[in-house]
Amino acid sequence: MLEKDEKILTRECLKMALEAGASKARASLSKNTMNIVATLDGEVDKITACLDRSINVNLFVDGRYGTFSTNKLDADSLRSFIVRAVETTRMLAPDPCRDLPEPSRTAKDAVDGSELGICDPAWRSITPEQRIAFALDNCCGRTCSSASLPPRTRPAQQSSSEEHVLPQPKNNWKLISEEGEYSDSEYWNYVVDTQGTEVLHAETSFEFFTELTIQDSRGRKYSGGWWEAAPLLKDFHPEKVAPAALEEAVMQIGPRRCRSGKYRAVIDSEVSQKVLNPILNALNAFNIQQKNSFLTDALGKQVFPAGLDIMDMPRIPGEACGKMFDSEGVATANHYIVKDGVVQEFFVNTYMANKLGVAPTIEDAMRPVICRFGNGVSRQDIMKTCGDGILITDFCGGNSNPATGDFSYAIQGYRFKDGKIVHPVREMLITGNILDLWSRLLAAGDDARRCRAKLTPTLAFDQVDFSG
Amino acid sequence: MKTSSSEYLDAFGVSAEQLQALVGEGLRSGGDWCDLFFEDTSYSELMLRDGEVSAGGSHIDYGCGIRVLCGEKTGYAYAERTDMPSLIAAARSASAISQTGAGGVVARKQLKYNQLPEEPLTPQGQRHFEQNTAVQTVSRHGQLYPQREDWRNSRAAELVPVLRKLESLIRAKDTSVHKVIAMLAWQVSDILMYNSLGETTTDTRPVGSLSVTVIFVRGSQTEMNNASRSFRMGVEMITDSLLEELATQVTAGMDERFDARRPKGGKMPVVMAAGASGILLHEAMGHAFEADFNRKGQSIFADKMGKRVAAKGINILDDATIPFNRGAVRVDDEGVPGQKTYMVEDGILRSYLHDRISAAYYGVAPTGNGRRESFRYNPIPRMRCTYMESGRDGSCQDLIAGVKKGIFVDQFSNGEVKIGEGDFTFYVKSGRLIENGRLTMPVKDINIVGNGPRALADIVGVAGDLKIDDSTWTCGKEQSAFVSCGIPSVLVKELTVGGE
Repeated sequence: MLEKDEKILTRECLKMALEAGASKARASLSKNTMNIVATLDGEVDKITACLDRSINVNLFVDGRYGTFSTNKLDADSLRSFIVRAVETTRMLAPDPCRDLPEPSRTAKDAVDGSELGICDPAWRSITPEQRIAFALDNCCGRTCSSASLPPRTRPAQQSSSEEHVLPQPKNNWKLISEEGEYSDSEYWNYVVDTQGTEVLHAETSFEFFTELTIQDSRGRKYSGGWWEAAPLLKDFHPEKVAPAALEEAVMQIGPRRCRSGKYRAVIDSEVSQKVLNPILNALNAFNIQQKNSFLTDALGKQVFPAGLDIMDMPRIPGEACGKMFDSEGVATANHYIVKDGVVQEFFVNTYMANKLGVAPTIEDAMRPVICRFGNGVSRQDIMKTCGDGILITDFCGGNSNPATGDFSYAIQGYRFKDGKIVHPVREMLITGNILDLWSRLLAAGDDARRCRAKLTPTLAFDQVDFSG
Repeated sequence: MKTSSSEYLDAFGVSAEQLQALVGEGLRSGGDWCDLFFEDTSYSELMLRDGEVSAGGSHIDYGCGIRVLCGEKTGYAYAERTDMPSLIAAARSASAISQTGAGGVVARKQLKYNQLPEEPLTPQGQRHFEQNTAVQTVSRHGQLYPQREDWRNSRAAELVPVLRKLESLIRAKDTSVHKVIAMLAWQVSDILMYNSLGETTTDTRPVGSLSVTVIFVRGSQTEMNNASRSFRMGVEMITDSLLEELATQVTAGMDERFDARRPKGGKMPVVMAAGASGILLHEAMGHAFEADFNRKGQSIFADKMGKRVAAKGINILDDATIPFNRGAVRVDDEGVPGQKTYMVEDGILRSYLHDRISAAYYGVAPTGNGRRESFRYNPIPRMRCTYMESGRDGSCQDLIAGVKKGIFVDQFSNGEVKIGEGDFTFYVKSGRLIENGRLTMPVKDINIVGNGPRALADIVGVAGDLKIDDSTWTCGKEQSAFVSCGIPSVLVKELTVGGE
């Protein structure tokens, strides 16, 4: 909960800034309370309690601009900090493009933080014992098939969780290590400025992560990880995590290389944001202004295939990662970024708008969504449609050139034929140009992970260069 | 600058008796170890963009982390205030690890957290106990990173001209420079540590970093390059020669970069240039030497202690004792003196990198690798400056001369490794093809993939030109940590190169 005193203190920062000589100011208080229970091999390994509070202050002083933050939040410390901050700002060069956003653009409907419905009151009633139970009850030994586990992790009594059946041919392995982590948190963000902006955001989060290491009969190790999160306890399903992590690890046994060449690539929804990120970066006005974008002239043009819609949807009630305002307090909206392949907008904050002489929009995509091509289309459907190709389930490093869009990423995944997985592949790379890649988009599934900040489904592309 | 532990105690507003009381509170319900980590960090940055230093700021992070160990298990909490009620509350939260009962916490292995051995001493200093304060103090005479001019006393007005001068130097070297983004950042942390052995340890850690990104435009082509330097030094690190060095590096080789192409991919020998290629050593091998990954059985090296992992003559070490190095630590974040740790000696795996937990688990002395991002995090084994010693296979040119068809890489970035499998990937920022023992076509936008242990075993040539790279390397294993790396030029028999 954000206390009344904490709001008063945040507003007090504006007063202190003006008294110290600032002409305008913005103050943003962040408060995060988090509890973590980590497990190792089915036992509690670490318990952590966190409470973080800090205030970030943006100062506009004599046409100059500075950014400052502190977690020393007693009034005396804050006052002397802000006085020094104003003095420091005066030493910087003037920048007439720096300003607060037009008051008409800031959010008026983010009043008590509850508007998006992602701050769960149930968070307050979770006890330390429940946290430990969440962590232990969702370990591999409790949620995976006992027949597939080595004695060390086999539970004395099977839990009531639904058993997960592993792919059976690959049972010549042993579990080496299992790390799990349950965490829950409550986050508050309160933003005020000297033009009267006052917005509040609140969200809770429940998360569970598992990473498993297994060893095959030849001594080779394979790891698998999975993660589930939800803003509301009722939507939280940690029991899915360990089985998914174990399946990922086991499925990797016996990797082979494929001959280098062009294949159809199916990119799993868990990792497909990798090919969306370069686009979002290229649409950011900062990169355009710095001539470091391959989409500099793309506004209003069709640079993506017809039929492709990418939306920003930060205002869907109950959905993770929603936000009603950006860091300037500017109101977000559900809107198109790309419609039918045509670029609809750049991400332009107040500063970049003044620099470039264009209208401001929003500082970044808050919750981008690649719209599905059809209802209920799964990864399996897409693989079946594609016939032969390589399914990418993980990216392991690599780079995309922001100025040209040329990319090279290492991948992990599976060779598939006739829509069925044949064998795992690793130590392979895909290379190409991001615009060229998107021009060969074949399909987009209906399986984006709701817990992600970027909702990207399974995607399929034709004629992708693989080497290995 | 603070010189005695009493000054640190005063700065955090606590007394020696209160430290003892807090540790007592942490261990009230049991547990084998308790330590306190007080931190006061000031961070500032100045940025030049579009020809002006018009952005900057400063940040304060202050608080205390309290850890209770129960066997291998950790209870951790922190407070952002250092008044006793806040600290006691944190100590009680941390003590939860010893309160959860048999259903939750059963230490798999009883561990003893002992006093550190008196030896080995590091070349830069020695352990001693200050007797002039109420508590025992472990510190070292040797100063790895004394600041002649403390960053905290500097003013932005004095530092702004540095960035302007750097931009001028860069523009004077290349007329195709379109944009320059330069950043000067510094941070200084005052650290006070206390543990259940009654040891008080203090340190003041400066880090200054100067980095620059340049966008070059020639006709319709755009290219970007960057360079950086970072040292544990005060303001005195800013010199004319440093600015000249950075300007030269960031503009060097741009003719080749504009001509560079993506080569045909495949498996081939790779010669890595001395210096920054050491990041491959850090990512692909160094993480697998960290003892937590081995204690949990996850590392590919978990069952390789005492066995050959590289060719004879290859030595790989992690060194906290290089003066002013970004990865230097006088004491780690558990109060253990920084030291020079050989992981691989003459090709044989000799040591992991330990924090106190893993050292107690393996029954060895901690190696001074227990590090943390800040008081918000518990310490874990982390690298410091990781490098390979020079070899006896001549020069880089000699290694290239022995390759019929391969790749020469002089700059890497974006490395990633899977600890269990040992698989790694690195993006090649710049390099050249090797054809018949000579460097030919410049290459770019490719990745190199391989397997760490296999690549280590496949090193068939090590030149005598070890170079430590002083760029702004930051390791991101769960938490961020300042590190550095180095390597002599090496020839790896075969790696996969991504290309057309």
